[in-house]
Amino acid sequence: MDSLITFWAIYSNVILSLGINALLALSIWLTLACGVLSIANAAFMGIGAYAAALFTMKLGTPFLVSLAAGMLFPALAALVIGLPVIRLSGIYLAMATLAFGEVIRVLILNTPTLTGGARGLNGIPQLTEWWHVFLALAIVLAVLWRMRRARIGRAFDAIRSDETAASLMGINVSAHELLALVLGAAIAGLAGALDAHLTFFIGPNEYGFSRAVHILTMAILGGITSLVGPVVGSTIITLLPELFSEFIDFSLIINGVVLVVIVLFLPQGVWDPARFARWRRQGGQRHA
Amino acid sequence: MFAQQLINAISLGCVFALFALGFTLIFGVLRVVNLAHGAVFMAGAYVALVVIVHLGMPLWAGLAAAFAAAGLLGAGVDWLILRPLRQREAPELILMIATIGVATILANGVRILFGPDNQRFPHGLLPEDVIAVAGIRVTVIEILIILVSVALMVVLMYAIQGTRYGRALRAVAESPRAARLMGIHVERMFFSTSFLAGGLGGVAGVLIGLYSNALYPLMGEPMLLVGVAVVILGGMGSIPGALIGGLFLGFSQVFSVAYIGSSARDAIAFGLLFAVLLLRPQGLFGTAAQRKA
Amino acid sequence: MKRFSQLLIAAAFSTAAFAPVHAADIKIGVGQALTGGGALYGKAIVNGFEMAVDEINQAGGLHGNAIKLVMEDTKSEKGAAINAYKRLIFGDKVLAIFGTTVSNTAQAADPTAQAAKTVALSSSNTAYDITSIGDYIFRNAVIEADVLPVTVAVAKEKLSLKKVAILYGNDDDFTVDEYDIFKETLTEQGIEITTEETFVKGDVDFKAQLTKIKSTDPDAIVIAALAEGGPIMVQARQLGIDLPFIGGNGMNSDKIFTTAPGVASNDLWVGSPWSLDNDTPENKQFIADYNARYKVNPDQFAAQAYDAAHILAQAIRGIQLSGDVAADRAALRDALPNVTWTGATGPFKFKRHLDRQGQPTGYDADQTAIVSVTRDGRFVLVD
Repeated sequence: MDSLITFWAIYSNVILSLGINALLALSIWLTLACGVLSIANAAFMGIGAYAAALFTMKLGTPFLVSLAAGMLFPALAALVIGLPVIRLSGIYLAMATLAFGEVIRVLILNTPTLTGGARGLNGIPQLTEWWHVFLALAIVLAVLWRMRRARIGRAFDAIRSDETAASLMGINVSAHELLALVLGAAIAGLAGALDAHLTFFIGPNEYGFSRAVHILTMAILGGITSLVGPVVGSTIITLLPELFSEFIDFSLIINGVVLVVIVLFLPQGVWDPARFARWRRQGGQRHA
Repeated sequence: MFAQQLINAISLGCVFALFALGFTLIFGVLRVVNLAHGAVFMAGAYVALVVIVHLGMPLWAGLAAAFAAAGLLGAGVDWLILRPLRQREAPELILMIATIGVATILANGVRILFGPDNQRFPHGLLPEDVIAVAGIRVTVIEILIILVSVALMVVLMYAIQGTRYGRALRAVAESPRAARLMGIHVERMFFSTSFLAGGLGGVAGVLIGLYSNALYPLMGEPMLLVGVAVVILGGMGSIPGALIGGLFLGFSQVFSVAYIGSSARDAIAFGLLFAVLLLRPQGLFGTAAQRKA
Repeated sequence: MKRFSQLLIAAAFSTAAFAPVHAADIKIGVGQALTGGGALYGKAIVNGFEMAVDEINQAGGLHGNAIKLVMEDTKSEKGAAINAYKRLIFGDKVLAIFGTTVSNTAQAADPTAQAAKTVALSSSNTAYDITSIGDYIFRNAVIEADVLPVTVAVAKEKLSLKKVAILYGNDDDFTVDEYDIFKETLTEQGIEITTEETFVKGDVDFKAQLTKIKSTDPDAIVIAALAEGGPIMVQARQLGIDLPFIGGNGMNSDKIFTTAPGVASNDLWVGSPWSLDNDTPENKQFIADYNARYKVNPDQFAAQAYDAAHILAQAIRGIQLSGDVAADRAALRDALPNVTWTGATGPFKFKRHLDRQGQPTGYDADQTAIVSVTRDGRFVLVD
């Protein structure tokens, strides 16, 4: 029992990070499932983190209200930014999300009285408990799972395969992509809010391009064909630095290597149900 | 002050254009979204640094080495990573993700090899003279960059409009399949253009490294954002658009600082960018942007 | 039976006589940035600290025991720093932690140390609010709020300053902090501010800001910058601005002579708790030893880390180590505020820190800054 307490004392943060990173990977999974690459999800995470932290610290709201704010504000931002740019094609859209991420960072930096500016926000009360994170993850997974099975999920698949064909079938492509963007933003914001109330301190430079690449790597590594993929990918990426805590800074380069190698050789990611089915079939034949 | 700020705006604008010209060649003309271009730019600068500092060679050798190394890097990325993806008809976004991976590897590789600190080209590599005339001051490197970017624009415009290579390039950008049917070696075009664009990026790296007195592993990132902004402002596929877009951005930055306030600078630049994206997505000079069905 | 028990007692005594005496190592955790953005400083810090610890161990250790360092990499990242601290506190059960390198990670990790009642001593965190976290948080790094007013006062006197321009990076907490302090002290000292200009990391061009500054005709330029400092000075000289620059800690490094070569780096005024030029016997010994061991000159980070180790050791000398980790940690915390030490950075003692509500919390450094000015490739003390 004592060693369990010690284990938790040492590793509680790692375990909670697993959950938070899984949420982030799922947020980008949602947009990728629809064929949209949103580099702004890191910025949405930031908006959620700041909104929630400011609600807790300046308005004194209960934790759940702050979390809700952490989901609402990024969703609104996604709506505002998404409406005009959603009609642009894939690459332009990705570029616009890249630029948007920078805009958010500049905004945070230049509003120091509200956000603390470059100094960041410190002294955020540590309100996140393990069950908050895993409950959030469970709820998000449940919602996404229901969505996949519903018409919305099939519409997403159709859009991802072939936009033109999907619109010819009567699917409102723009509306669906916007929905994915907004929902993804809300999930990323939730992750940001939980993270802010875990690490005492947030700053504007945490939600930039490297964070966006980090999130993307987790989703791509795990694979985007199923919901399990992002969770697997985020677990691997979160645990990797813990396993190799040598004093050599390879963790960032590994992100890059993972992106290239997976995209080239394992395009469906590590968790590929189709590949597993193939293995099972081959296994059966071999034993025949 | 106005006259000096005018010169500042022109030289900064040409700095942006210098990077954007290579970027627009690969992105705007060939429609390859290569987000590794910033890292290639940076790698070229570092190769030149090694050649000049450790091998003791003069500036022109550094420039040549930067061109060659960055060109090979750009072409290599295309051949080894993008070509297989194109062959299996992977979506554009997957190619983009792969180039993000390459950029991360390059930037962190350089950081591990050289350290995260600023480096600089040796003092006195280029004449440090400042030309002071009528109260304004211009350095040799600024004049060099202005001349090179204008010359580059002219050469590239001619190459794309007036040569067979240029025509083949435009055909491939339009439709690789049709171009192949016309007998154009499509993959060879991708390879050679990637080489050229990469090489130009490397040269830009050296010149901008001299201008800014700073080389560091992440120096490609802010440039990449600038490149994207310039291409959006000037228009995809437009070579003169890259120069005009660069100047436009340079002027906006310098005059925001001079007459509005330094902190407003980025907000104004992004505001302009979004305005263009919404009102005229094809940019000032570009052809129609890909629209959704 | 009696003979057997006699034999037993004899055997017990003899084994006791021959049993080896195990010294109990004193474990100190080191949570510094060995990788990531702060690694540059982290390396110098670890160098200085390790050199001091080896010195202490070679002189016999503390209470006859050797100091054993347990190294953890905070990676200049919040999450990694928190995990590092947790491993040190709960896994290795260290007596105290020497960390962190950069203020951002300290904001995230120090609360864990405070909650676990373990001393965290930093030799490099300068953000004001760090020691507001609690009474287990200490630093021997003189904060900018104490250094910059001295720099400005000395420069004002020597240069007869009436008006200055400020140029600062507004996307980094360190430079923004410096800007706030500069602005406050300039106002207090009655120096007019002609204009305030900003830049961000990654900027290649500062000529717009510098041209504007030049047009407002200041007597000097106050600059809060890190890596951009050198390029800014180069471009300033290119624009014909020969004014003095007054800088904070970010400008205080020999690297300025490589990033702003030649005459570009001249006339930069900085204050620091330590200077290579400072001729005290402790400092000269420190510099010589550091040179012999690491083959480079030390910098301020190494010097402060070196002194931090000695300060910590001095506190440990004054307490009784019972072997009960919680009791020992508390005893150390009670002894540390009273330590005085004269080391490479000169005479040192702690002073109580007041948080922004005026409540006493942790402990800051109580030392006076030394002002230097650059001249022909080196920092020269201003007398």
